[in-house]
Amino acid sequence: MLWFTLVVTKAAAALSRRLGRGVGQSFPGLVAERLDPRLAGKLAAGLPHGVILVTGTNGKTTSTMLMAAALRASGERVLTNSTGSNLKRGITAALLSSANLRGHVKESIGLFEVDEASLRLVARDLNPTDIVVLNLFRDQLDRYGELDVTAKLIAEGIEATTARLHLNADDPLVASLSRYAARPELVTYFGVESSVVAGTGLGVADSERCPVCGARLEFSRVFYAHIGHYRCPNGDFARPRPRVALTGVQASDAAGSRFTVEVDGRPAELSLPLAGTYNLSNALATVSIADAQAIEPAVLAESLATASAAFGRAEVFELAGRRLHVLLAKNPVGLARVLETFVSPLLAPRLLFAIGDLRADGRDISWLWDVPLGDLIPAGSVVLTTGTRGVEMSLRLHYDNIESDELADLGLALDRLVQETPVGGDAYIFPTYTEMLKIRALLVGGSPLSSVAA
Amino acid sequence: MNRPVVIAHLYPDDMNIYGDLGNVIALRRRLEWRGIDVEVRPVVVGRAVDFSDVDIVFGGGGQDSGQGVITDDLLARGDDLRGLAAAGTPMLVVCGTYQLFGSSFVTADGATLAGIGIFRARTVAGSTRLIGNIVIDSPFGRLVGFENHSGQTILDPGQEPLGAVTSGFGNDHDSRQEGARTNNVIGTYLHGPVLPKNPRLTDHLLRVALERRFGTTELEPIPDDLERRAADAAALRPR
Repeated sequence: MLWFTLVVTKAAAALSRRLGRGVGQSFPGLVAERLDPRLAGKLAAGLPHGVILVTGTNGKTTSTMLMAAALRASGERVLTNSTGSNLKRGITAALLSSANLRGHVKESIGLFEVDEASLRLVARDLNPTDIVVLNLFRDQLDRYGELDVTAKLIAEGIEATTARLHLNADDPLVASLSRYAARPELVTYFGVESSVVAGTGLGVADSERCPVCGARLEFSRVFYAHIGHYRCPNGDFARPRPRVALTGVQASDAAGSRFTVEVDGRPAELSLPLAGTYNLSNALATVSIADAQAIEPAVLAESLATASAAFGRAEVFELAGRRLHVLLAKNPVGLARVLETFVSPLLAPRLLFAIGDLRADGRDISWLWDVPLGDLIPAGSVVLTTGTRGVEMSLRLHYDNIESDELADLGLALDRLVQETPVGGDAYIFPTYTEMLKIRALLVGGSPLSSVAA
Repeated sequence: MNRPVVIAHLYPDDMNIYGDLGNVIALRRRLEWRGIDVEVRPVVVGRAVDFSDVDIVFGGGGQDSGQGVITDDLLARGDDLRGLAAAGTPMLVVCGTYQLFGSSFVTADGATLAGIGIFRARTVAGSTRLIGNIVIDSPFGRLVGFENHSGQTILDPGQEPLGAVTSGFGNDHDSRQEGARTNNVIGTYLHGPVLPKNPRLTDHLLRVALERRFGTTELEPIPDDLERRAADAAALRPR
């Protein structure tokens, strides 16, 4: 039966590649799930060093990429879903594409980013050794309804396993997931002790209430949104002490950061060539996994120091002599953080917001109104919008007294962005997920843009 | 016009989901663009608030947990809010706050909680969420928004709805009614947020507020082209 399933699904994969349906990953996974819902678990059981799952609202792709690099540098053969879907069918498809017809996968370890709502199913089937939860912000609530519901779905995933838990100590809702660990000693935390990261406290509060008694948490330090150092005034809940702690930031700019991380009190100097203090949290999660997997500190340091941007996350493309920075924007905290990092320090930058509302973006785009754009976008910026809801983005900007031009056609919008940017200059593109895929297709596959090519 | 127009924002921390803050932004800007000063006065749990000079009241949607946190505090302010409503103060309440402005709320485990009773409506917790783009026909023209709620709201006989649903669900699965309207108090399930893309509704609230405050009914016109195009785009999207 396993052989039959594998033959059929591999044929489906070949067919889907031939037909050019996306990256060709989800369709065979869907077929496989129909034929044998347990297929992913059976294939994953053949990975000698087990499976690591990474979930949370922001940073899944970047963290998974950093962890994969560290694991590879330590000699592991890593199977990931780095370019595919992070739903269960995408993970099934990644396992399928690696398996031979006898069901043997060739890698030594699995490392998958998992959609928050899918963790429940994936964790139950794959029996992971480690689960990482990065943070929980409002994102695509049209799918899950509410943030508390999302947390509950992750809790159910955790309860179905005996995995080690790597939790972000600075996010109260994430830290409170420790209650669902099979045994308390399986829980380890990562977090920021340094005050250098002290952020702007952008008011996008999501979970400021004590998960035990419901009292408003008291924050002694806020890095951004609800990420920081907190305690319940009734003593029911407090930020746990992180085993992996960021204790100092020596430098942080557009080229990346140099910083100190202590693991169980032992300090190490690290560098990461990705801009944005939000990426330091992704680095901490990576250190936590490296520690659990006994990766040599020097090997980890080298792999972090040579990291590059993940798919659509601060990737830079060269077009007609201009540098186009593509920064995925899919929820209010994420957009606020990338604007703060890349745009706020600039003088009159050139910006394009590409806002879609397809299923994969989330149908509900009301979150645009939660971002304090007027505080984040410098005066005098050239601002363009595009996408199925580009005009709504223009309206949002208008209500923060920022005027923009909406161009319905993405190619024309990119064209115009290039025209507005001097040769050798930089421009910044903020796409939702499906718009990011379209932009990458245009920028990676050579430029079909009329006036730019001329 | 030396004293600013005062917008009381009910529970901005606990009841702010799906961009409902955008409604306060819309009210504020459309006053500022007309040269009128604005004060947004937050109403938070357990803190005394002076409602005597409040011109407009807004309350948004929240998570169930947020709703639980604010319910007692809102009930304690029931006399203040009912007084303002009876006096004709314009108010907009969305989703979770709309539910609490009704007469009662029946939770998933069958308990009945009191609301502040400005609307003659009761809400019953439902098992499925009504999620998607929504368009309704109202006295303020077509209104577009996005709904995301599991509570089913039933209006008592005689309670006027805000409008009739042309696409989407609205108050509940079956009635094809959306929202409620009593005096100048408007309740709705429309997020989106509702006011920026529906400037006629925004200006209605402002016109009533300014008339009560200054005795004027003239509202300086503002070009609405961008608003109309954004609303058209939203109305054409699949549910």
